[in-house]
Order: sequence, then C-alpha cells, then structure tokens
Amino acid sequence: MRISTGMIFDAGVGAMNRQTSLLLHLQQQVAAGRRILSPSDDPVAAARALEVTQSRDIVAQFKDNHNNANSALGLEEAHLTSATDLLARVRELAVQAGNTSLAKSDRAAITFEMRARFDELIGIANASDGSGQYVFSGFMGSTKPFGGTVESIMAGGEIGYQGDDGQRRLQVSPTRFLEVSDSGNDVFKRVRNGNGHFVTDYPKNGAGVGTNTGTGIIGAGSITDPAAWNANPTKSFSINFSIDNVPVPPVTYYDIVDTVSGNSMLTGAAPLLPPTAATGQRAYQSGQPIILKSQGAEAAFDFGGSVLVTGDPANGDSFNIAPSSSQSIFATIGKLVGALEATTSGLSSSTAHLANDIGFALTNLDQATDNILRVRAQIGSRMGEVDSLSSANEDLNLQYQATLSQLQDLDYAKAYSDLIRKQTDLQAAQQSFARLSKLSLFDYI
Amino acid sequence: MGIFSVGISGLNAAQSGILTASHNISNASTAGYNRQEIIQGTNNPMLTGSGYVGQGTNVVTVRRIYDEFLGRQVLSAEAGASEMDSYLSQIKQIDNMLADPSAGLSPAMAAFFKGVQDMAANPASIPGRQSMLSAAQSLVARFQSIDQRMTEIRDGNNSQIMGQVTAINTYSAQIADINQRLILSKGSSDSQAPNDLLDQREQMLKDLNKLIRVTTLKQTDGSSNVFFGNGQPLVVGTQPYQLKAVASVDDAERIVVALTGAGGTTLILPESQITGGILGGLVAFRSQTLDAAQNGVGRIALTLAQNFNDQHKLGVDLTGALGKDFFTFSPPNVISNSLNPSANVAPIASLDPANIDKLTTSDYRVSFDGANYRMIRAADSKVVWNSGVLPVSAPLIAPPAANPSVDGLYIDLGSWAAPQAGDSFTIQPTRKGAKNIATAFSDARLLAAAAPVRTSAALSNIGTGKVDAATVVDTSNAAFATFNATGQLLPPVLVQFDIPPSTYTVYDNTNPLAPVALEGGIPYTAGADVFPTPGISLDYGYRIKISGTPGAGDKFTVDVNRNGVADNRNAMLLGALQTKTTMTGTALGGPTASYQSAYSQIVSEVGSKTSEVESIGISQQTLADHATETVQQMSGVNLDEEAANLLRYQQAYQASAKILATATKIFDEILSMGR
Repeated sequence: MRISTGMIFDAGVGAMNRQTSLLLHLQQQVAAGRRILSPSDDPVAAARALEVTQSRDIVAQFKDNHNNANSALGLEEAHLTSATDLLARVRELAVQAGNTSLAKSDRAAITFEMRARFDELIGIANASDGSGQYVFSGFMGSTKPFGGTVESIMAGGEIGYQGDDGQRRLQVSPTRFLEVSDSGNDVFKRVRNGNGHFVTDYPKNGAGVGTNTGTGIIGAGSITDPAAWNANPTKSFSINFSIDNVPVPPVTYYDIVDTVSGNSMLTGAAPLLPPTAATGQRAYQSGQPIILKSQGAEAAFDFGGSVLVTGDPANGDSFNIAPSSSQSIFATIGKLVGALEATTSGLSSSTAHLANDIGFALTNLDQATDNILRVRAQIGSRMGEVDSLSSANEDLNLQYQATLSQLQDLDYAKAYSDLIRKQTDLQAAQQSFARLSKLSLFDYI
Repeated sequence: MGIFSVGISGLNAAQSGILTASHNISNASTAGYNRQEIIQGTNNPMLTGSGYVGQGTNVVTVRRIYDEFLGRQVLSAEAGASEMDSYLSQIKQIDNMLADPSAGLSPAMAAFFKGVQDMAANPASIPGRQSMLSAAQSLVARFQSIDQRMTEIRDGNNSQIMGQVTAINTYSAQIADINQRLILSKGSSDSQAPNDLLDQREQMLKDLNKLIRVTTLKQTDGSSNVFFGNGQPLVVGTQPYQLKAVASVDDAERIVVALTGAGGTTLILPESQITGGILGGLVAFRSQTLDAAQNGVGRIALTLAQNFNDQHKLGVDLTGALGKDFFTFSPPNVISNSLNPSANVAPIASLDPANIDKLTTSDYRVSFDGANYRMIRAADSKVVWNSGVLPVSAPLIAPPAANPSVDGLYIDLGSWAAPQAGDSFTIQPTRKGAKNIATAFSDARLLAAAAPVRTSAALSNIGTGKVDAATVVDTSNAAFATFNATGQLLPPVLVQFDIPPSTYTVYDNTNPLAPVALEGGIPYTAGADVFPTPGISLDYGYRIKISGTPGAGDKFTVDVNRNGVADNRNAMLLGALQTKTTMTGTALGGPTASYQSAYSQIVSEVGSKTSEVESIGISQQTLADHATETVQQMSGVNLDEEAANLLRYQQAYQASAKILATATKIFDEILSMGR
C-alpha cells in the first residue's frame, strides 16, 4: 500500500487527538466524581436523575413537614396532658366537696382552688406556640380563642370562643394531609353533657335555686339501645314524683311526663293525681333503675335506657331529662364552683341539690376528660403516623440516593483503570509517532 | 538526429522528472495538492536499413494523480461531518446548561416549591412568606437566564448564518473565476491539463462543501457547475449566484437564506434546502433543537404561571383580600407575514386557562385563502383547523364551548380586520414564555395561603354530622363579588337538617337571626357535595361535604374566613402543584406530565440529540477520514518516494550527460583522426 507522508502526520495527530479527548473526558469524570457530565453522556439517565432528584427533594421536604407536624402535635399533646391532670385534680376536689361533713371554710378552700384551676385551664386553652400563634384557635392563629370568668358562667353564660373550627394540616406524604391542630371548640367546648345522650337535672326557680324538697338524687342514666333513643322525635321529659298518702306507709309513685305535651308516657294521657295503684304511675323504690321503656300494660314508648334515682323524693319533686347538648369544660367547672359556693344552708334538700350538682359535675368532668383523651388519642395516632411515615421516608430517601448514585456516580475503580489505560495508549501513540515521523530517506542522501 | 539529440532528450526528460519531483516535495503540505508524475514516452524511431533505431525519449505529459470518484466520496462525507460538527458545537451549549446541578431549572423549581411548603407549615410567618417570594423571584430569574442564554445562542446562530452565507458567496465567486481560467487554458491547450489550477478548484469546492453540501457537474469546456439543495445553482460556468441572509417574512428575528436569481430577484429558500455543511448544521440545530428547547422551557413557565395563578386566586391573603395573580406572563407571540396582501396588524392570541395543559412546544402558522382559515402546527405539519371561521374568535365574547381553543390557544379574530386571501401569520405560543415571566408583587402579605371560606358546625348540634373544610373552586363566582370590599360572602350559607334529618335545607344566612330558605327538602347523602344543589343548582364557588349522622335541626354554616392567619389550605394546594400532572395533555386524555417531568423531557431530548449528533458526527468523520486516506494513498506525496525519484532522475540525468560526453569523445576521436 502506498502511504503519503501527509497521512503519517494526519493519522498520528488524529490518533493523539482522539486519545487526548478520551483522556480528558475520563479526567473530568474523575474530577467531578460523576459519570454524567452532560445529558448527552446518557440522556435517559440524566433525565431520570432530574426526576429522582425532585423526588428526593420532596422526601426531604416531607421530613421537614414531619418535624413541623411532630412539634405542633407534641406541643398540643403537652398542653392537653396538663389539661387532663387538671381535670383529674378538679374531679378529686369535687369528690372531696361532696363530703357532707365539710365545714364551710373547707368548702371555700376547695372552691378557691377550683377557681385557680379554672383560670389555669383558660390559660391552657389560650396557649400559644413558639411563633406566637394560638394553639387552639383553629385557623385564626393570631386571635386569642377564649376569655371569661367563673362569674360569667355562674350568671348562666358560657365561655365564648373567638376562634373557628379550622384544623391546620400539613402535607406529610404525597397523598396525606395530616391534621396538626384541633380547634378549641372541639377540645374544650364540643363536650356532650350528661351521659352523652341525655342530661338529667332538677328543676330550679327563677333565682336558680332548686325547687325539689326531698332528698332524691338522680344519676346520669344510661342508654343501652341508642337506636331506640334516636328514634324518638322529642326526647325531653320529666320524672315526676308523687306520694299516695292513703296507705301506710305512704307509697311513692313516679310518672314519666312528656315535657311538650304534658301527658304521661305511661298512660298516654294527662297524669292523674293524686296517684293510686290504679292511676298508671309506677311505684318508686330507691335504688331501683327507672326503665325508660313501657312495661307491662303501659302505653308504648321506648327511650332505650334507664336512669337511677336514690333517696326519698318528696311529693311534687321531679327530675328533668333532656337531650345532651354541648357544654364547655369551663362551664362544667364554673357550674360546680357556683353550686359549691351557693350551698350555705344545712337543709337536707340543699344537701341533695349539692349531691346532685356534684354528681352532674362528675359526669360532665368524665365526659370532658374522655373528650380530651379522645383528642389526645387522635394526636397520638397522628404522631404514630408521622413516625411511621418518617421511617418510610428514610427508606425512600436511601433508595433515591442509591438510584441517584447508580445513575450519576462514577465507578472510580473502573474510571481509574480506564484512565491509566488511556494514558498508556496515548503515550504509545506519541512515542510511535515520534519514531515514525523521524524516518526519512533524505537523512541518507 | 543522432546521439546528441538522444542524450539531450534524456537530459530534458530527467530534468522534467527532477522538476516534477521537486514540485511534489515542495507542495507536500499544500492543501488539496495531488501529486504529479511525468509520463515518459519514446521518440519515434528512425527506420534504417538495419531496422528501427530508437531516437531517445520525450515527456508526453505531466500527469496529476487524481480519482474523481474518490474525490466525490470525500466531499459527501465531509459535508456530513462538518454539519454534525457545527450542530454539535451549537447543541453542546444547551446540553451543558440544562442539567447543570446549579444552573439548570430543576434546582430553582425545587427551591420554589420548598418555599411554598415552608410557607404552608407556617402561614402566618412573614419571614417564611418572604423567603417563598424570594424563591419565586429566583425561579423567575432562572427562567429568564435560561431563556437569555438560548436567545444569545439564537443570536449567535443568526450571525453565524450570515457569516457562512458571506463565506459561501466568496467561494462561489472564486470558483467562477477559476472556471473562467480553466476555460481559457482549455482553449490554449486542449491536450494538457492545468493540474495545479484543477487542484485549486477541487480544494475550493472542498472548502465550500464544508460550508454547505454541494454537487458538481463537469462541463466539456473545463468549467464545473456547482449546485446545492435540490439543484439550486451556486456557480454555473463563470456565473456565480449570490446567497443572501435575510430576515424571515414570518419572523423578523429569524435569519433565513435566500438565493438571488437572475435580475436581482430574491427567493427565500425553505430550510429543508439548506443541508449539510456548517450552514446546514446551523439551520438544522435551530429548527430541530433550539426552537423546541426554548419553546419547551417557555411552556413550563407559562403552564406553571397559569396553574399557580389559578390556584392562588382561590385563596385569600393576610390582608383578607382574595388572591391576585402571582406571576405575570406574556400572551402568545403573533407575527404577521411581512408579505401579506393586506396591511393588517397581527391578531391577538391568548391562552385558554382551562386547557393550558394542551399547550405544545410547536409554532403555528395560520393562513387565509379567501374562504377558509387554516392553522398548521409547525412541529408535525398537521392542519389543526380548517374552516370558514377560526376556532377562536374573542374568547371572552363568544363562549368557549362554541369556539373551542386549539392546543390551548385562542385567537381573537376580531382584532384581525378583513383578512385578504393570502394573508398569513405565525403564532409562537411559548417562545417568549420563559423570557417574560415575572412575579406580580413583592409584598409577602399578599401571598394567598388561606382559603376564603370556612365551615363550622353549631355547638348545639346533637348528631354526629361533620362538615369538611370547604374546597374553593371558583372565586369569580358572584358569591365573592364584594369579598374584597366588604369581607363578606354573598351570601353566607346555613345548612340546617330538617325533622327528620333525612333532608336538609340551604339558607341564606346573611342575617343569622332570620335565615332565608333558598332550597329545601334536599335528600341527605353522607359525604356527598352539598353544592351545586340538586334542585335549583345553587353554586357559590366552593364545595362542602357533610358526613356522619346529623341530628334534626343540626346546623352547619359556611362563612368568610376572617383572620384565618394560620390557615394554610391554599398554600398546600399550591405546593401540591409540584407533583401534579399539569402538562402535555392531549385532546383525548388529560395531562400526563408534571413540570419536572416536562423539563426532564427537554433535557432528555436535547441530551439524546446531542449524543446522536455526536455519534453521527464521529461516524461521518471516520468516513471522511477513510475517504481522505484513500485519496491520500493515491494522490498524496510520499517524501521517500520523491527522494527516490530525485535519485532516479539524477542518475538518469548523469547517464544522459554521459551520453553527451561519450558523443563528444566520439567526435573528438573522429576529428583527431583528421589531424
């Protein structure tokens, strides 16, 4: 084959150029530690790396959100723990106050502490987070949610709520927006009073003083058949006691009277008084549950539950039963303080009223505690969810890192060995070129 | 004739040989030089009685070792190689920029959405909002800087096209000139080829061919005609044709190539005619890669801006006003053809917010033939509209249902008065998208992180019914008409359950003491949307769902979200846009790509094209190298060979000289005999 001198030079330079550019590329890869220097090196991997990077960034963002969620929930949980302890203490005080042998000064000490607890609870409900946002005000973070005093409740009022029902949320996973707050309404105000279905009470006069004269004490009652309870269009009635003084000893009867119609539910007609064994009322026995359902030949009605009355109601005494409504925890404590402070006389009826009030308060305190525990349980499950999402996130993060590394990172061992090989190649090309280019016939003529 | 003349013929031939070898040696590195050799022949012998006696030698011709077929191979391979080379040097600039970990779009977009998420975590925090705004500004700046870089590349591309056209014209003129000289030399000697002049022309063609792929046609008069594209002439005989770089009639910012015909007429050449060579690479890069990449980034900017604005407007800011546009951006670029028969200004085009996902990265050309409007998508040359009316009269005047948008575009024909047959214009929906995106405000309080309405359940409710936080879908609804002025909904709504609670009634709750019933007896389905209502289709621009078992008389209210500073509902929806599929929708299916995947698509397209161009370039270069090598094997100068030739002819010369010496001696002998 004929070779032109130019070819020797062109081929030599061309080969060295190619080797140098490969060497340079390898060197850049090694210097950057990246396999892909520009997308053209591996277009699919480069595009994929961008998407994986976004996924990894989002996971990192979720991690931030998890921390935010955890701290918000942790803060709320801490406040609610204090509230639970506080309610336990108030309950303890209420039980203490029920002791009939307490002197007035003792009771005053108890109400003094209760008032302090009340203020403390207001403080908890108005707690704010690190950035000055109120924890329990819903979306209205800069609005102080609760304000009020025991007096306002004793005057028949309620503690107002200035916040709203909003629940703040944070995105903690691609599809999960986790609630990180609970509104003050839900925590402190939306508490069902009584047993959750109905609330029992004794009648009061215009000045708020009980009108029962006997020593009857009504329990909170219970509903065993909620469907039956719900099926009743109206759920307000009273249990009226009357005494048939003819027999000896006199027999105490009770009637269940619809508040709206004024008719006896037992007979379906207006109550007949005074009662006798034939007027349709049921005979009362202290400690026997009053079944809120037609018995025997009574007119048909069914409230699906029962209520317990103990003690000796006087003729004309009654207890009211009404559907439960929401009563704030503040109102529960406030009313209790009011009842304790109002008890002055040593009348047996007054003692019965106090016993009733303390009973109501204990029921409502239990409801309040249950409500806060319910919220705390939710917080706990949310925090648990955050924890499990966090650990899942960690795994994801590792996976994304591994994928990214596979896509982008350089195999150093291979790159180094390639580098050395290319270097050797280049040296060989240079040396052979130097030798070849030196050959010339002109040297010999 | 005699011994002297034989010797002298030998001397002359040897001298020619040495001369040719020296010519070869001295031109060993001349570009385009093909080696030459002398062709020696014997002189006509003389017939004598004893037969034919040789009469010495002569040089028949100096031959140029050249194979036209091999030359063509080199031309073809080199045109391809230089096209790929110029394409590569252009596309590399984009390729390196797009996926750069610090300069690409991805990091700025990630930082922006991180800002949104951080704002969602702390909606009331002004510093948090400010940092989200800063992230938005740096995202906008990144869009602009990427666009700026692409515009620079486009400007560079334009000026390189102009430069290449000038260079091509210079070569054409020179080739025409050499043609002239070749015709002359052909005239003076028909049998002997002007070797060096031919080499010069070959080299000139080779250089020209590196600028644009040419084909040549040899003429009998020695000249060579040069053509490009589909037979457009560059040189015919001694006549060069000038190319011209002119602004496109469709887009003044686009420099295109035109051919100056006889009589000075200018004919703009379609880009498909400009193939091969550096010019071909420049044009192909622009139409195949640069347009798509710049449009692609613009499309992301536009879609992001539109989606973000739409969602932002569903929120309410810290001042209690409804969210405003967060980004500003420009409407599609519309350019009237400069040769339009009518002198109308271009009509106005706008984006269809509801179909923004259908936006493509293509440009469009709309023409009017006197009866019908035709809209052609440049990317696939598909006719997307052909009708007596355009899709698309003013979107705000005619309902979009009657006049659907095409590929997310509206054209306001009302602004294109009385078109004449032959009128056309070009729409570039996304070209300026990245350039003109900007943030609309810099007051951090105006970020609409909250939702404008909130729901609540009355404390007196006896059932277990729950109402969800409302989802706002349309703040242009009349319910929000006086929102900013009065901070009220028109009207606030009360949903109250009837007795029994299997149905409910929707009330106007403007006066909570005396709500006005709007629609009653609506059957309750747990978890179903309350709005629009089944009867009279009340719709106040938001959706609420009630679930659980509400009791009789239970009340749920919807009211304005006043002072909801800790509300992040809208911020979360804004943040969710990051991963939502919002782009590359088709007429049949919904959107299929998020912003990031749309961007990755650009990166992958440019990357693939780069690597394709690179590998084609390498293979073309290898082909060219091989062809050149083959030519060099045949036509290249080998110095050793020439050294040997020098020796050969030197010895021939010495030998011929010896003939003369011998002849002289013979004469001397003869003369001395006569003494």
